[in-house]
Amino acid sequence: MNQISRRELLRLSSLSLASGLVLAACGKQSGVIDDGAIARLGDTPSTTALPEAEVTDAVLLRTAASLEYNAIDTYEAALDLGVFTGSLAAAKDVAKRFRDDHQAHADAVNGLIRAMGGKAHQCANVRINDLYIAPALKIITEDANPNVGLDVIALAHALENLAAQTYQGVVESITDPKLRADAIRIGQQEARHAALLAQVLNPGLAAVGPTFDATTGKANIAAIPLAFGSLGNIQLVVGAPKADGTRTTLLLETPSLNSLVYDGVSC
Amino acid sequence: MLSDADINLLIPAQALELAARDIYASLVSRATKSGDEQALLELIHSHHVAYEQSLNGVLGKRAATSRNAEVYTRFFAALSDSSKTWSTLLELENIAVATHTAIIEKLSSAKMAALLASVITVEARHAAILATQISSNLSLALDNPQQALVTQ
Repeated sequence: MNQISRRELLRLSSLSLASGLVLAACGKQSGVIDDGAIARLGDTPSTTALPEAEVTDAVLLRTAASLEYNAIDTYEAALDLGVFTGSLAAAKDVAKRFRDDHQAHADAVNGLIRAMGGKAHQCANVRINDLYIAPALKIITEDANPNVGLDVIALAHALENLAAQTYQGVVESITDPKLRADAIRIGQQEARHAALLAQVLNPGLAAVGPTFDATTGKANIAAIPLAFGSLGNIQLVVGAPKADGTRTTLLLETPSLNSLVYDGVSC
Repeated sequence: MLSDADINLLIPAQALELAARDIYASLVSRATKSGDEQALLELIHSHHVAYEQSLNGVLGKRAATSRNAEVYTRFFAALSDSSKTWSTLLELENIAVATHTAIIEKLSSAKMAALLASVITVEARHAAILATQISSNLSLALDNPQQALVTQ
């Protein structure tokens, strides 16, 4: 059995401490020149520091502006699909009006950003598009889907809720009270868009408030689902029915830290 | 802790919600509308109750002690003409949206601004749905021509 006496233990501790001091003294701060005499494997790669990503009022508004372009692009895509025919023919004018509203919102928000010395953002939020819109449109436009027109409206409804929630949510984060009011002035119109689209998807006064599917027990789409504006995730059900009758469910969330449009992000 | 200035802004917001609550309550009690219309009035009434109570909770002892009498009197009188029910309620909701927005512009508390924002987005939905009871004109549902009530 290996036994170390108390004396040996103290001696080893002293040696370790002394070695550490010598190594520290030989470091760069000691002024010793690296002559390459000590072998080493590879070089430490140089790193580039990430730019400061501060969440400012301008960043929050740039993010809101980006969502307006997501909505504009989605309505354009919907109109290009040519699905607003027959019973959905009236939706064509609605889509055009909503698209124009979003363009007006984008212009207004970018005007606010410029007024505070920020850089306007005039394109869609890439991450929101990649995470939600592009996958949803892919599912919606699959050949087997018999409900392309209604599903496009469901996507628009989800995006309107997303926009309304975003504006509502940023009110607490924006520091300038005037900008808070400007934000919700736009957000309230997004909420109106959502309410009207909900009535297309689930029509009638009986469907205005919260109702539930008798078979699944899940909440139906409602124009006014809650007493207070929700900030929770948004459910979007689209696509062709699967073998068990269910359809694909996507969950949308308002932009968070990794989908904000920081000052360094450009179109 | 709310500042006196914020409290003085939130009291009229609550008084407006109290007036809206009582206006819808009077309509609900009349029970002159169809089943679904009555249910819509009850739904919106319940929301205004929730708004008034949430502001009451925030303001505590400083809460409004009475509804906005001017608003109540004006809208109660307008509702005596049953053909104007939906347009009168649309105007009321749009005024609430405009007034709460104007209050947000002056509030220093971000949390109180967020509370009012969560009310505004739903009152805007109320307005949109009430507008559909009047006509299919999109602008009626989407645009808010109303001015805010005077805030301090």
